Amino acid sequence: MRSGYSSFFIILLAFIVAVSLAGNLTAAEKKADKHPDVDFSISCVECHTEVTPKAVQEWKSSKHGMMNFGCYMCHGDGQEDFAARPGSDRCIACHSGQEVDFSKTPVKNCFDCHQGHTLKFHQGD
Amino acid sequence: MALKRREFLKASAAAAAAASIGVTLMPGMEKKVFASSITWHKSVCRFCGVGCGVMIGKKGDKVVAVKGDLENSINKGHLCVKAFYLHKIVYAKTRLLHPMIKKNGKFQQVSWDEALDYVAKKFNEIRKKYGPDALAFYGSGQAETEETYMANKLFKGCIGTNNVEGNPRLCMASAVGGYLTSFGKDEPAGTYDDIEKAELFLLVGTNTAEAHPIVFERIMRHKNKNPDVKIIIIDPRKTPTDQVADLHLFPKPGWDLAILHAMARIIIKEGYADEEFIKAHVNFRDNKKAMTFEEYKQFLEKYTPEYASKISGVPPDQIVKAARMFGQAKTAMSMWTMGLNQRTRGVWANNLVTNLHLITGKIGIPGCDSFSLTGQPNACGGVREGGGLCHLLPGHRLVKNAKHREEVAKVWGVPVSNIQPKPGKHTVAMFDALNKGEIKGIYIMCTNPAQSLPNASKYWKGLKEQFVVVAESFFPTATTKYADVVLPAAFWSEKEGVYGCTERRSQYMEKVIEPQGEARWDAFILRDLAMKMGFKKEFQKYKTGEDIWSEYISLTKGTDMDLSGATYRRLKKVRGLRWPVVSEDHPGTYKRYTKGDPLFDALPEEKKKGRRMYFYGKPDGKAIVWARPDKGPEEPTDAEYPLALSTGRVLEHWHTRTMTGTVPELNRAVPKAYVEINPEDAKKLGISDKDQVYVETRRGKLKIEARVIDRPKPGTIFIPWHWDEWMANVLTIDAFDPGSKEPEYKVCAARVRKA
Repeated sequence: MRSGYSSFFIILLAFIVAVSLAGNLTAAEKKADKHPDVDFSISCVECHTEVTPKAVQEWKSSKHGMMNFGCYMCHGDGQEDFAARPGSDRCIACHSGQEVDFSKTPVKNCFDCHQGHTLKFHQGD
Repeated sequence: MALKRREFLKASAAAAAAASIGVTLMPGMEKKVFASSITWHKSVCRFCGVGCGVMIGKKGDKVVAVKGDLENSINKGHLCVKAFYLHKIVYAKTRLLHPMIKKNGKFQQVSWDEALDYVAKKFNEIRKKYGPDALAFYGSGQAETEETYMANKLFKGCIGTNNVEGNPRLCMASAVGGYLTSFGKDEPAGTYDDIEKAELFLLVGTNTAEAHPIVFERIMRHKNKNPDVKIIIIDPRKTPTDQVADLHLFPKPGWDLAILHAMARIIIKEGYADEEFIKAHVNFRDNKKAMTFEEYKQFLEKYTPEYASKISGVPPDQIVKAARMFGQAKTAMSMWTMGLNQRTRGVWANNLVTNLHLITGKIGIPGCDSFSLTGQPNACGGVREGGGLCHLLPGHRLVKNAKHREEVAKVWGVPVSNIQPKPGKHTVAMFDALNKGEIKGIYIMCTNPAQSLPNASKYWKGLKEQFVVVAESFFPTATTKYADVVLPAAFWSEKEGVYGCTERRSQYMEKVIEPQGEARWDAFILRDLAMKMGFKKEFQKYKTGEDIWSEYISLTKGTDMDLSGATYRRLKKVRGLRWPVVSEDHPGTYKRYTKGDPLFDALPEEKKKGRRMYFYGKPDGKAIVWARPDKGPEEPTDAEYPLALSTGRVLEHWHTRTMTGTVPELNRAVPKAYVEINPEDAKKLGISDKDQVYVETRRGKLKIEARVIDRPKPGTIFIPWHWDEWMANVLTIDAFDPGSKEPEYKVCAARVRKA
């Protein structure tokens, strides 16, 4: 019961995050995320292989990972620019052709449909 | 044919490495946030020699985005990670914004007039006192053709010295030597169009996936669609290119010539040679004399798989397999880059790859070519074609040829006596002469020799002692440290001009924004300097980029690299043109030396009779198969220095990082240099991953982090060369190929110990 209760809040939180990300806020309007102060002389993937191995493994198996689009392309470099949960604005810089008018869709953000780390190639793509 | 999942993943993972980004701009985007406020302008990527088309996004008076140009047939909208950040580099904190003169050891901002008056005065004093050969120009395969053209005219045509070089000497000269000696004319016969038609790829000394990502991506897409396509790699190091290789031969660095001869021997012995083609199109010779096909076969007898194995360290059965794969494939495309070129026998290595195509007739038909990959975006266009080396003049002309000097002097409007018949000093000799004080003043444009020269620290003395002018977009660099004057140069997107890429394609780049600070276009900096030096009459006519380009292409008319049909008017509309392009209604040329090449088509019928190719750079139209000795590297490993050191690139950085080092994301991807050591060697040396180690050669020592990884073959170590802080070139050797004068960056003897 307790576990179900937690899940409800996680889903609710995720919904709130999704809605807030979808709000067409500019990067300046959003509160900037801050990356923990770590050893920036090593690459993100090198460190995250140890601290968030699951996320790295998911990324590696994804289309982004296969194409070697590193963490930095969505999350920023971690110092001058960092987004723990990148918004759709990060996506359209590359995927300008796939830009969606969210006012006409039931979803409000790219990540409502696409899980950032686990995207896979479509076979025959 | 559907790919099996495993094969698909294998191909995809490698494509990887290609790291390309696709952008598909859909119609009806006018209300969209991203598209609506940005205007897009056609340009070319600033990095490698692939020549990818980019679209520059401008908002207000700023460059704000870059995307791949869908209409450009080279990259079809895809870009690698470096190009994606080009717009950030425009606004790097390290942009050089004002002219500066070093006074009492410190740079002080001055006006353009003061800077150029000072340089003109110093150069004229040196010229008057010590003669024109006491001055030199050192340019770049990243400069636009118009920029190199102006430097060439000023130094060779007006000042009167052939001391004009450029960094393509350090990366492409052996490919030039290879093409000239094999075909008689420089640059490839084929184009990228051959990629999608090839059954087999022979990749020698190229980490295509990281150094030429979009070419690699095209190979991968082709293999994805056609699983029977095979890829052979010959390289001492496992790289991301490797992930889809069908066969990888790992030679000891610098010992691969015997493998190529052994492959030729097997190809002939097992009946894969095209005797008809050979008879009509090929001559044979060794370093001293012409020989017959039979004598060539005799020469090859020494190169049994076992002999080649003994020399190279590659198992004999793999050499046989590679030869059979090459022989059996209906079409084959070879590609190579610095692994072959940066060698003391780089020209020979180039010849031996081309030999395989000539003996099998796998040349001049779709899907077949011996295709050199270029390292810089305009090494081919500006320097090879524009004549920006000490022995060249524009349009593949030579300073030693009296007719060529006359043709160029006439167009330049200078007395022919101004152009010396003797070649000037090649790059290594030029910086050596600077050390010795024979050259007393040098103008360095768009390049960073204090870091990029081999055995770099040896040449800092001359840079420190002589009068050095550096025209650059970035400050500081390893070279500006030694400058007496720095001149801020407009960067990509801030100037118009033409880049000519690997496949003979010239592409126009639009000026999209005004230069940062007081930066100016290099071509006009040189023009203004020339006028201040007293050459007003010769230079005042150049008011626009088109003035310069139009004069240049008039010099190419009637040459093998005829660009006379590639006017600015036309280049502004199209995604480049591949020469020869002999008139404004000519579409450009897919294949040289064969039907469709206007130079071949214009030949008298009797010359073409019985032939599908005519190598018009050779007196009888026949290409040469060379019987070259299988010489190894200049500095083989020994007991004192038992490891072979090789240097190269990573995907995310480029050259000396003056550009990519300004992009936080790319620094985050690969923040520092390292030395790759094979686990076997590391174990023997007691070195663990991430240990600090000293790498030492006979020239220098470098403290660097060890990366223990199964990439270099045992006995070989590798350092990516991009970093100033971990400067790999203090270790490399400055021995050079006696033909091409290109140094042997790719092999020297080293040792490693724990720090």
